[in-house]
Amino acid sequence: MTMLTDFGYILLFIIAAIVFVAVILFLAKLIRPNRPNEEKLTTYESGEEPDGNANVRFNIRFYVVALIFILFDVEIIFLFPWATVFGNKRLIAETDGLWGWFSLVEMFVFVGVLLIGLAYAWIKGHLDWVRPEVKTTEYESKIPTSLYDKINQKYSQ
Amino acid sequence: MSLITLIPLFPLIGFLINGIGFRHVPKSLAGIISSAAAFASFACALTLFLGFNGQPQIVHLFDWITVGTLNISMSFQLDQLSLLMLLIITGVGTLIHIYSIGYMSHDEGFGKFFAFLNLFLFFMLLLVMGSNYVVMFIGWEGVGLCSYLLIGFWNKNSNYGNAARKAFIMNRIGDLGFLLGIFLIINHFGSVEYSEVFSKIAEGGYSSGDKTLFYITILLFIGAMGKSAQIPLYTWLPDAMAGPTPVSALIHAATMVTAGIYMIIRSNIMYSLAPETLDIVAWVGLATALLAASIGLFQNDIKKVLAYSTVSQLGYMFMGLGVMAYSSSFFHVMTHAFFKALLFLGAGSVIHAMSDEQDIRSMGGLRKKLPITFITFLIATIAISGIPPFAGFFSKDEILAHVFEHNKLMWAFGVLGSIMTSFYMFRLLFLTFFGEFRGTEKQKHHLHESPIAMTAPLMILAVLSAIGGFFNFPHIFGGHASLAAFMEPLFEQSAIEHVAVDESLEITLMIVSVVAALLSAGVAYFIYVVKKTVPVAEGEETGLQKVIYNKYYIDELYDTLFVKPITALSNFFREVIEFLVIDLIVEGVGKLVKTLSSEVRLLQNGTTGYYIFAMVLSIAAILVWSLKSFLLG
Amino acid sequence: MNAIIALSLFGISNLFLGFLNNRKILLPATLVFILIALGLNFADWNHEYYWFNNMLKTNNLSVNFVTIILLSTFLVVAISRSFGDDDEHSHPAEYYAILLFSAVGAIMMVTFENLIMLFVGLEILSVSMYVLTGSDKRSLRSNEAALKYFLMGSFATGILLFGVALVYGATSSFDIHGIAQGVAKAKEQMGGAYGPLLYSGVILIMVGLLFKISAAPFHFWTPDVYDGAPSIFTAFMSTVVKTAGVAATYRILSISFPSVYGLWGNPLVYIVCATLIIGNITAVYQQSFKRMLAYSSISHAGYLLITVLAKRPETNSSLLFYSLAYAIATITAFAVLMVVSEAQAKNGKADESFEALNGLANNNPLLAFSLTISMLSLAGIPLTAGFFGKFFVFSDAFSNPSSLFKWILVIAILMSTVGIYYYFKPIIAAYMKKGEVAKIELSPLYKFILILTTTLTILLGLAPDLVKNIF
Repeated sequence: MTMLTDFGYILLFIIAAIVFVAVILFLAKLIRPNRPNEEKLTTYESGEEPDGNANVRFNIRFYVVALIFILFDVEIIFLFPWATVFGNKRLIAETDGLWGWFSLVEMFVFVGVLLIGLAYAWIKGHLDWVRPEVKTTEYESKIPTSLYDKINQKYSQ
Repeated sequence: MSLITLIPLFPLIGFLINGIGFRHVPKSLAGIISSAAAFASFACALTLFLGFNGQPQIVHLFDWITVGTLNISMSFQLDQLSLLMLLIITGVGTLIHIYSIGYMSHDEGFGKFFAFLNLFLFFMLLLVMGSNYVVMFIGWEGVGLCSYLLIGFWNKNSNYGNAARKAFIMNRIGDLGFLLGIFLIINHFGSVEYSEVFSKIAEGGYSSGDKTLFYITILLFIGAMGKSAQIPLYTWLPDAMAGPTPVSALIHAATMVTAGIYMIIRSNIMYSLAPETLDIVAWVGLATALLAASIGLFQNDIKKVLAYSTVSQLGYMFMGLGVMAYSSSFFHVMTHAFFKALLFLGAGSVIHAMSDEQDIRSMGGLRKKLPITFITFLIATIAISGIPPFAGFFSKDEILAHVFEHNKLMWAFGVLGSIMTSFYMFRLLFLTFFGEFRGTEKQKHHLHESPIAMTAPLMILAVLSAIGGFFNFPHIFGGHASLAAFMEPLFEQSAIEHVAVDESLEITLMIVSVVAALLSAGVAYFIYVVKKTVPVAEGEETGLQKVIYNKYYIDELYDTLFVKPITALSNFFREVIEFLVIDLIVEGVGKLVKTLSSEVRLLQNGTTGYYIFAMVLSIAAILVWSLKSFLLG
Repeated sequence: MNAIIALSLFGISNLFLGFLNNRKILLPATLVFILIALGLNFADWNHEYYWFNNMLKTNNLSVNFVTIILLSTFLVVAISRSFGDDDEHSHPAEYYAILLFSAVGAIMMVTFENLIMLFVGLEILSVSMYVLTGSDKRSLRSNEAALKYFLMGSFATGILLFGVALVYGATSSFDIHGIAQGVAKAKEQMGGAYGPLLYSGVILIMVGLLFKISAAPFHFWTPDVYDGAPSIFTAFMSTVVKTAGVAATYRILSISFPSVYGLWGNPLVYIVCATLIIGNITAVYQQSFKRMLAYSSISHAGYLLITVLAKRPETNSSLLFYSLAYAIATITAFAVLMVVSEAQAKNGKADESFEALNGLANNNPLLAFSLTISMLSLAGIPLTAGFFGKFFVFSDAFSNPSSLFKWILVIAILMSTVGIYYYFKPIIAAYMKKGEVAKIELSPLYKFILILTTTLTILLGLAPDLVKNIF
């Protein structure tokens, strides 16, 4: 029997994941009752009534929001391995507690960089779903504005 | 920044100011700036000379080209030879700059003229200061360019333009030889630095008559022929008199034309090991000296006479070089710079007074109107004729003494040449300054002595011409030959045989040549003053005189021998070869490329899918090709 | 290497400077940022350092490359003129920030010690370029170019990554020196042969990088993208991206795979020849100056690759000198092209074709002269930097003992003569063709940059040793 390489472990993981999902779905199929109706067969959209085909152009803003979401999603994932290193007792003991501070500050820097990005997006207005749009009309009236002022003055009294 | 770097820098700055600011720098300032630049260089050179300790100094500015093992640097070398040249160039140069302020004062291109003069000085200084052949070559080409620009200075006259072109082309022929010589030096020694090349020769155990050295020296000599106007490349120099007279004095008498002699003295180690070349140099020099002197006998243009005299004197110098009398030749370079510059400037003064008349047949009796010019001109004439105790006597006599040791026949011809020199110079003097005025009334009315800016340089040069000989006062008169002693270290590595000249013999030789010179001066006096002969008008010469007056038809000969065949050949090429071969091949290739291009261009069709397909296909092809050993097992 | 950190921070601060609503401050600020980065870069001179756990390494070679990259960035920023006055559609703060970020990517590509860093650097650079290519949002050509570039670029990145994975499989290392050891070890184990894993890996990595420096037959994106992108970003792409790409290719091939020279050298010979021929020949027929420059950049990739291929001790300095000469000349050309095409577009005339340059010299002597010098340099005419660039490249090839290089040289020299034809077209247009270009007003900075680049080109052409000795 040859030794498993690192790739071998990955392969085992992949196989195990597929098998796991397949087994669960199969079990569910065995247990659950099967009574379909029209309401149940429609696509689940968080309780909203589906309207038309899903294969349409989405508003570009979805992408921006999705992008920002993904960014912080990934940040959270990164926090997990960091947490194991952060709490490493041996390292903390060896460095007289300095290690904890060091890794904490490092993580704050990392989060800080992302926050700067968030701040930028925020200031740019990418987080506002409805942007205030200032419509400037290019039409120039021949009537001077002073005339309106006069009229207002006259009738306000 | 050391003084050495400053020397060429001053004229360069002067050139930039006057060149860029031409028409903006006021006239009065332009001349002063240029002259000041020249004088500043002279002052630096003088300081260096006085503080010189006998050790050559090399100032490295920067590496210019490094190719493989060959390193060509921009660096200056200061030793006995370059110091002396520096003094001559900047000293005479300064005087001529000052003179030009007066001479060119009515000229439109005043600022331009001074810009060119300064540029010339810059390149000339580069030429003599460079520590390797390439820097010398830069200067060499640069002075050629300036010479061209200044000969054709009055470029509205197309004859002058042609003269400039002739000078340039003749020089190019010589330059080619020089360049090939440099290539051969690089090829053979792997360096162009004087110090390296010479020490390699000294240590390399080269025997006399080495083939490589022969080729190198002869190629370098071809370069010298062009620049120093030797047979067969001398015809440009007389034509070069088209330029303003100060230019003739500075470039075509005192400095640039002696560049060839400088170069040979610089390379004396190589020349001393190439006796065949030395023989050629000596005989070419002698032939040039005689030919030019004989042409000078019957010229009527004051500047032409001086031009041929220059060619002839350069011939003497080469003759001296040919018999390894390097320091004597250099001595002659120096004295010649004094008296020839003086002659030209004097001629300029005469021309200035005569309202641009150059024909001596229209002159005469000018000594009363132009006393300073006359006296200085007289001193120069005596000096060039080799009559003691003026400068020319000592230097020419030294050369002749060495020639005598080398070859008696050559000496005899040399003396003949000096007889002719004495004759045509006194002829010139007498026709110009003695007798009755032969010009128009208007000219007569206009006659005047030149302003002080012009006469001052004349007087200084006259003093130098008179006493210049004492810089190298020979042993037999109780002198120390200080110039020769000063230059001694230059020839240390060179294998020169020193033959002690018998003193009584030397004195005899001197007496012979002096008497000969005096006699021919006397003959000239008899013909032109006592009998008041005036040369006949254009086209009326007869016999030999006509041949000589027309310069032995050498220009015409060159025309038939070289120019016409080349024109014919070029016509042939234009009409036949170009049409049949060049057009077919060149245009064919051009068309082919264009057709290819129009086809290849279509590959770029704008479809991303196709692009990616092409990429994938190429990757697949490369992979299959590299992995074929695996695929085929 | 602090330059990387500094440039990233500067990029971010640029983004926030944009909120000040004062676009005039951005240009000088960015220039100052780049100068500071240059200074930090010089601090690494004569030190060999590993950074970030052996992820990056600086030495003199990389410092020189970074200098060229930052210099090019500086010049490009200096001629950007704040990207016009159109507030609605141009975003100078973002553009400058992205330029700084992409410079970070380029620096990582020349200093990487680990293939991961190569990949990250390449992606930073590429993604920035995709964005900048499409930055002219209202122009269809720009959009098309961006999409094409993105599609093909991601394809090439995929190939590179695939190659990295295969090489990792064969040598079990991402470290470029580790890979070299792995290759040697593999050789030992296999008894002098290599497995197909390594073969394919090396070639795929090379192809991925060659795509970025637009060597044929992976050049197809170049003309379309260069042509479509706004000129200022084309100038950046054809200098910084190319320099970084060539440096990365050279770095990995010369450090990791010198022992398998035959493996990548053989295909590279054909790639070099194809690049030279396609780049030069196709350029002949172009009517658009900008498109001609795109093909010219392909052909210059060919010349640069000759030295990579020649593998001489002098390759370092030849590569650097050529990149420098090429970058300076190209940026000058684009600088002229930009102002002229803008001026012509205002008159409603043809904008980026050679005709736009007709009669340029009459009213705009500086522009015409700079253009001439840059074209002469690109063509490799003596007394310009380009001549010595080509000279060093050719002498590298010449001193390689393999007779193959003589043939490459023959092709390269023939193709440089073809190059002279199309490089003279703009000169002829500017000086000899009849036409009228009104006097174009240039800002002092713009003039300064034109004079600077032109002077540099001539200076390097007169005294190449000034920088050759440093390299």
